[in-house]
Amino acid sequence: MTEIIPILRIGETLLISLQGELDDATVLRIEEQLTREVARTCATGTLIDVSGLTIVDSFIARVLTRIAGMIRLLGSHAVIVGIQPAVAITLVELGVPMGHLNTALNAEQGMALLRRLRDDGDRSD
Amino acid sequence: MTAAPVGEPDPRVRLRELETLLEAFAGHALFRLDLDGRVAGWTPMAERLLGYRADEALGRPVAFLYTEEDRAARSPASDLAAARESGRTEVEGWRVRKDGSRFMANMVFAPIRGERGEVTGLAVAVRDVTGRLHAEAMFRGLLETAPDGVVIVGPDGRIRIVNRQAEALFGYEREELIGKPIEVLIPERFRDRHDAYRRDYARAPRIRPMGIGLELYGRRRDGSEFPVEISLGPLETDQGTLVTAVIRDVTEHREQEQRLQRQRDEIMELSTPVIQVWDKVLALPIIGTLDSLRAARLTEGLLQKIADDQAEIIILDISGVPTIDTQVAQHLLKTVQAATLMGAESILSGVRPETAQAMVHLGIDFGRLRSRSTLRDALRLALRILADRAGAAQAATGMLRGEQGR
Repeated sequence: MTEIIPILRIGETLLISLQGELDDATVLRIEEQLTREVARTCATGTLIDVSGLTIVDSFIARVLTRIAGMIRLLGSHAVIVGIQPAVAITLVELGVPMGHLNTALNAEQGMALLRRLRDDGDRSD
Repeated sequence: MTAAPVGEPDPRVRLRELETLLEAFAGHALFRLDLDGRVAGWTPMAERLLGYRADEALGRPVAFLYTEEDRAARSPASDLAAARESGRTEVEGWRVRKDGSRFMANMVFAPIRGERGEVTGLAVAVRDVTGRLHAEAMFRGLLETAPDGVVIVGPDGRIRIVNRQAEALFGYEREELIGKPIEVLIPERFRDRHDAYRRDYARAPRIRPMGIGLELYGRRRDGSEFPVEISLGPLETDQGTLVTAVIRDVTEHREQEQRLQRQRDEIMELSTPVIQVWDKVLALPIIGTLDSLRAARLTEGLLQKIADDQAEIIILDISGVPTIDTQVAQHLLKTVQAATLMGAESILSGVRPETAQAMVHLGIDFGRLRSRSTLRDALRLALRILADRAGAAQAATGMLRGEQGR
């Protein structure tokens, strides 16, 4: 797989949009690429849009939680947006632990949530 | 017998012994006829079965045991002639006792031969087989009065017996079906497999429903099909193991089931409404008991509505749920988790004191889920959250503008 997943930068926020069907190798590459990009750009927030994913299995879900954890360790925030109803039900039924994940309905609300997270973070620092 | 030759020391005693043995063994009443067909010997068993004492029977033509109709049809004479000419002859028919009662008799005529092989008389063995006839009549009666179609199939897979209901079900006349392979009653697309199923059944025949878990269909004479339920059972006979198939038309039953399912679906939809109470706020009043099926529908409906309305907050009102047990709580928790994954925040409302007690006693952990006792309070909380978010957003834009202005 030589497919490149573009990571957009808007101000202090990174935006990555996952599309179609991802194989395990691609998912792992995204994990590496994204964390490196967060560190390089010193972005304060990352928005991961999964609304275009046709399949979200427990592996992808676990990697997403992992990415969020890594980004938090890098002093930034991650928000997953666009989880579809069927996907949400599947993940709950599979019992994938995603309790610590920040989620939002769409990119707009995701941006708003990121802003609130930054504010809260700044206050508590 | 009484006409046995005299001279030997007590040969009659010996003969009587033999007759008794024979009667005991075969369950037959024995007597003897001379060449003209008159009674020449009579035994106690014959007396018991037919009611005539020896002195009443001896010398009378055998026709006295036949019915009037048979006598008119000259049956006694033809039976005797057949026995004389072709040897052992077995006949079955109604005979009459001394008291006038009738019974179904199995009669065997066997010629008695003299020293030179000439026929000197006939031995007759009579047996009452009315009981067997009763059994047959009962079987027929049962077969014809059964509410279901019955088809009995031989070991060769061909139809042996069909009842009236089966004729009506499949639209055939009885005569058309007897001798035909059972497969004529099965839709063509299932026929190939049926042969193998039939052989499997023959290996381990027992009473059981046919095709458990499958939807079975019968094929009428005109080629149309109808849904059936079939029960199978083995029937051990002298012709090998026959298989009885009891067939019930379940068209109405299936239709009723479908109607019920439709109604259940409708009730389900009616019972899980999702209401938009404010911009970006949905309320879900849950009424009645939450089972797994209903919980799944409810979650599905709610998540779809979240996606459609882009709602940010949902209020789960449980004031209409009579009791919260572990299972109901699990369902609620899953709904909340799924909504959270989509990015919507949940507020629980309508928690009564006893509900709160039950939930804590059960050790149900709702985590960060916020809860209010009334729907009004829950809505107020929802609006405050939205206002805070809007305020934060404005402040952020303001800050950005301020930075740009600097």
